[in-house]
Amino acid sequence: MKLGIPKETHQDERRVAASPAAVRRFVDMGFDVVVESNAGEAASYPDDAYREAGATIGDGDASFGADVVLKVRAPLAQDGTDELARIREGATLVSYVFPAQNEDLVERLRERKITAIAMDQVPRITRAQKVDSLSSMANIAGYRAVIEAANEFGSFFTGQFTAAGKVPPAKVLVIGAGVAGLAAIGAARGLGAIVRAFDTRESVRDQIKSLGGEFLTVEIEESGEGKGGYAKTMSKEFIEAEMALFREQAKDVDIVVTTALVPGKRAPILWTADMVESMKPGSVVVDLAAEQGGNCELTEPGKRVVKHGVRILGYTDMPSRMATVASDLYGTNLAHLLDEMGGAKDFGVDLENDIVRGAIVTHESEVLWPPPAPQPAPQPSPEPAAKPAPAEPKPSAAPKAAPAPAQPEAAAAASTSPVKIAIGIALAAAWLWLRFGTEPSPANGATRELLQHLTVFVLACFVGWQVIWSVTAALHTPLMSVTNAISGIIVVGGLVLATTKVGTAAALIGAVAVLFATINIVGGFLVTRRMLRMFHK
Amino acid sequence: MEYALITVAYLAAAVFFILSLRGLSSQETARAGNTYGIIGMSIAVFATITASEVDRYWLLIPALVIGAVIGRNMAAKVAMTAMPELVALLHSFVGIAAVLVGYATYISQKKSGTVFEVEIFVDVFIGAITFTGSVIAYLKLKGSMSGKPLLLPARHLINLAAVVASLLLGRWFIGFEGSGGIAPLILMTLIAFALGAHLVAAIGGADMPVVVSMLNSYSGWTASAAGFMLGNDLLIVTGALVGSSGAILSIIMCRAMNRSIVNVIFGGFGTDSGAAADAAPSAAEEGEIQETDVTEVVAKLQAAKNVIVVPGYGMAVARAQHKVFEMTELLRDQGVNVRFAIHPVAGRLPGHMNVLLAEANVPYDIVLEMDEINEDFESTDAVLVIGANDIVNPSAMTDASSPIYGMPVLEVWNSPFVVMMKRSRATGYAGVDNPLFVRDCTRMLFGDAGESMDGIVGELRAKAAPAATA
Repeated sequence: MKLGIPKETHQDERRVAASPAAVRRFVDMGFDVVVESNAGEAASYPDDAYREAGATIGDGDASFGADVVLKVRAPLAQDGTDELARIREGATLVSYVFPAQNEDLVERLRERKITAIAMDQVPRITRAQKVDSLSSMANIAGYRAVIEAANEFGSFFTGQFTAAGKVPPAKVLVIGAGVAGLAAIGAARGLGAIVRAFDTRESVRDQIKSLGGEFLTVEIEESGEGKGGYAKTMSKEFIEAEMALFREQAKDVDIVVTTALVPGKRAPILWTADMVESMKPGSVVVDLAAEQGGNCELTEPGKRVVKHGVRILGYTDMPSRMATVASDLYGTNLAHLLDEMGGAKDFGVDLENDIVRGAIVTHESEVLWPPPAPQPAPQPSPEPAAKPAPAEPKPSAAPKAAPAPAQPEAAAAASTSPVKIAIGIALAAAWLWLRFGTEPSPANGATRELLQHLTVFVLACFVGWQVIWSVTAALHTPLMSVTNAISGIIVVGGLVLATTKVGTAAALIGAVAVLFATINIVGGFLVTRRMLRMFHK
Repeated sequence: MEYALITVAYLAAAVFFILSLRGLSSQETARAGNTYGIIGMSIAVFATITASEVDRYWLLIPALVIGAVIGRNMAAKVAMTAMPELVALLHSFVGIAAVLVGYATYISQKKSGTVFEVEIFVDVFIGAITFTGSVIAYLKLKGSMSGKPLLLPARHLINLAAVVASLLLGRWFIGFEGSGGIAPLILMTLIAFALGAHLVAAIGGADMPVVVSMLNSYSGWTASAAGFMLGNDLLIVTGALVGSSGAILSIIMCRAMNRSIVNVIFGGFGTDSGAAADAAPSAAEEGEIQETDVTEVVAKLQAAKNVIVVPGYGMAVARAQHKVFEMTELLRDQGVNVRFAIHPVAGRLPGHMNVLLAEANVPYDIVLEMDEINEDFESTDAVLVIGANDIVNPSAMTDASSPIYGMPVLEVWNSPFVVMMKRSRATGYAGVDNPLFVRDCTRMLFGDAGESMDGIVGELRAKAAPAATA
């Protein structure tokens, strides 16, 4: 089985579909590998290295004419060269395809009965990670974005104390903490910068923190968890809050790296012109979404522009700028894919294989894209699922204890057991007997007064009982000293005796009582105030 | 007109008192709550002294002024660690004031009749018990009196006899013309004094939080009884509020110790269940106590991500709360998550530890209650137990023969590393062995908690300093 690796003809493409190390894997799998002469030159892989790995060096036709053609970019049709036409009918092509954006290409692939596997369509499931070249490329892009920014930035990333004065560390804001964003966070931290990262998905908080970044978020409850591991489009309120946060950050940060992509759509504008304007001159914006239109309003895809003194990098070829490692990782992804497809001996398309089924675009004059039955989200946000407990308000000791004594009463009210009904009837009977069975006697003044006071007393007990249960345990001491001060109300009893209507002895004793009660009142309130002043957040 | 005015003023005062208690329910509103209390009290006092009946100002003004000055001085100079004593002492003032008001009212002969006499009798009885009970509690908390329960033989019978004697004296007291019943009243007062003293003397030091809140409750009922006596609704309402507040606090404290209120009041801790404890000494865990030193503790703390501090009465005694805060700050600067776990009965007063930590500037959002934090010990790298013992005793959960069995405790032993700072190997207030001392995870740091904390803070500073300049 012949495997061809042609030279990439796109003008900005320095990568090649496989490094010599990857080629050795193909050879070990049993493939007959033909590499186009000088295919790896731009990625610093000379022909000799491929030869050593077990490949033969051939011309373009030899590599395009193989049974399986491995490429990075989708087949090009420009300047009289039509790469697709050079691929045999019925052969297999593995490369980026972007079928949604390249309908013509898909149609031509179908016509030529080519089995096309799109590396950009590999499903984002755990098992497919080894094949996921988008992740490997995003990782490179994130790292390179920081390096490019450092290159443009006129100061240190790390803070320094020198004899000539101190230099503050650079502040880097990373928007979108996907693979590229996380790589950017790691790289910027590695260079010593202060890194903040924004993402709509709460589940990436720990990942950001683990890389040393600070997680920024907005105070609106909305999960940005979309399917396929991407973030979804957020509500208007959320976006407004997000924009306010960015405006605030714009004045502070030196470097912004944006990585926000929404699959199949233009990248959202997150860094507006006025944000760029409010940035310090000499700041750098690296827009990794430039290829999908850019997250920054002023990005010009593929170019470096300077607007309001801010350098905006819209490079679309970040992985290609690190062609050596990019080719190696891409080749390794291809090797894993070929392994999934059966290697050289049993090579074929197995539509039961979920990786192949997800990535395949055309097969035997049929368009098989998009694949049916999308996979469930690979990151079912573990945080809310794992911790349902915080949703419940944590009861403090007092309110928690409160329902306990109330329960019997509640139960009594709720259930109507025969015993309780009997008690009710007995009480009613007793009432009737007392009311009608005995001689009605007019209450004298003292009794009447006592009963009225008793009513007040019982009601006050009830109010106190209801109010006190809500006091938090931490405040029990202040509560005690304040109630202690309040119980000094006994002073009123002493005060009313300070009258010439009573004898001198009684008035004197009353005055002593007033003295003690006043100590209690003043001492109690003041010490409570002293205590409460100390409580602070 | 005057009657209506005073009634409205008293009603306003009562409303302010309710608002005051309500305000105490959370930290944010607590200061406002205290202010409401002051407003309510001012209204009540002002309304009363401007009443037409009250005219002996030469007697009343000095009493108010002197009382205010003494109270102010006491409040200003008390150390936060001495808060339990102060609260107990203040309770005794309410008690004695109630007794005095009762006597003065009886002598003044403002009213007469059986109902009135009963009310006076009850007021004096409760006031007297509150007075001596609080004094004894004060002495115990201050340390002037041993914290050990005073267990007289047949003490329940003595209490019962005192109550019966008081009832008989009450029967004798009723029905005298004028102030003729003063003799039985004085006799009853003496008996009530003795009863109050005896009741509190029989309660062990570890139960002091309950005792203090019980006395708090009594002082409220006293005021209420005075209200009945004087026909004053404000006194009744306020007394009832305070009384139920104290009662609830007592219940909360008792639940925290898994004991019934009857058991606490009449118990004399360790006697009723002592026999069972003695019968099964074999249940105690055997093992070696492992000692540690400041250096190891500091190394562990610095390497930790999560640290929980469990303060107890020992921290209050050593006045170590400021040092604890310094350590907390140093560790937090290094990114260590330090939190505090407060057991409901830690210390000698409900909420005692919270007050001490607040005094030392510890932010209250890292001070958590037992229920909030008990599950987190497992994921905590190091636990620092400062002068606490019974509240971290695992035998409360494992040893059915232990006197404290069933009491909810802080499960510090779920953490891989527990430092117990203790003065000695002695048992805690409850007099119960603590098997935690000999567990594998536990290291003992013997010595005064204040000195140990000094050592830890010093070492942390020494280690932090070079890191900061590098």
